[in-house]
Amino acid sequence: MSNSLMIVDDSATMRKIIMRTIRMSGLEMDSTEEAGNGKEALEKLSSSPVDIILCDINMPEMNGMELVKKVRELSNCNDTKIIMVSTESSQELIDELMAGGANGYITKPFTPEKFQDKLSPFMN
Amino acid sequence: METEQFNDVLLESAKEVFETMIFMELAKADEPFDPKDDDSLLGTITFTGDMDGCLAIGCTVDCAKNVAANMLGMDPDEQVSSADVNDAMGEVANMVMGSVKSRIQEQYTNIQVSIPSVVSGRKLENSLGEKARRTALAINIEGDFTAELSILYRMHETATQAGLANKEVSVNAADPSTN
Ligand SMILES: [Mg+2]
Repeated sequence: MSNSLMIVDDSATMRKIIMRTIRMSGLEMDSTEEAGNGKEALEKLSSSPVDIILCDINMPEMNGMELVKKVRELSNCNDTKIIMVSTESSQELIDELMAGGANGYITKPFTPEKFQDKLSPFMN
Repeated sequence: METEQFNDVLLESAKEVFETMIFMELAKADEPFDPKDDDSLLGTITFTGDMDGCLAIGCTVDCAKNVAANMLGMDPDEQVSSADVNDAMGEVANMVMGSVKSRIQEQYTNIQVSIPSVVSGRKLENSLGEKARRTALAINIEGDFTAELSILYRMHETATQAGLANKEVSVNAADPSTN
């Protein structure tokens, strides 16, 4: 069994911070893809699905909320887990995202422990 | 919200972001931020809802390079591209805003945040027209740099009243001197 990951965030800096935090958390990924917005992510996913998506909410082109809905329409991503990683922290929004098909939520700023906590249940 | 309360919220938020995500110490500065004629950057993010406005972090290019290098986990002698510096400053504004938002969400439930933007130049300052209030706070980063955090905001009538009625649940209830 392997674990493939995609990090979707419009900030390249944030994508690097997320990658570093995952390394610090001790979680081992076999492959890591990156996308700068929902549209780019969706294009990549439709040809090569991943096990876990870490997804920002506020992004240009296609935001995280729309991406969650679109991913859930992709038949090759049925088993893909989507964890939102965002500065947005209202419970209302989290509920809406979970209802829309997200599997978890991490707020920025975050710690390696937080990633360990939220991701390990979904690791193969 | 009173500007004094805002300053406390700003400081706590920025501290959290710098300590957990950037691995740099941040404290209130004794002196105001004065970039003189140095090139500076202003990372900004706007918001609308119960309150409209803009949060900004202003610092010299030199300071921003150091912050970006730390965020990216680079060696001090590695060159940080200006694209990376801009991206990093935008993300700092985004994270500080997120932290501010979570601290004030009991009072201001409806606040939508935009995508951050960064401008560079000299003597940069943001403005928001009539009836806007501005609160600014000088901060010290790692003992090496002075920078400035600011919020420009315009309260909506109903939110102002709700804010006054809810003063006790405000974020800095722990500090009675500001209430
Ligand atoms: Mg974003």
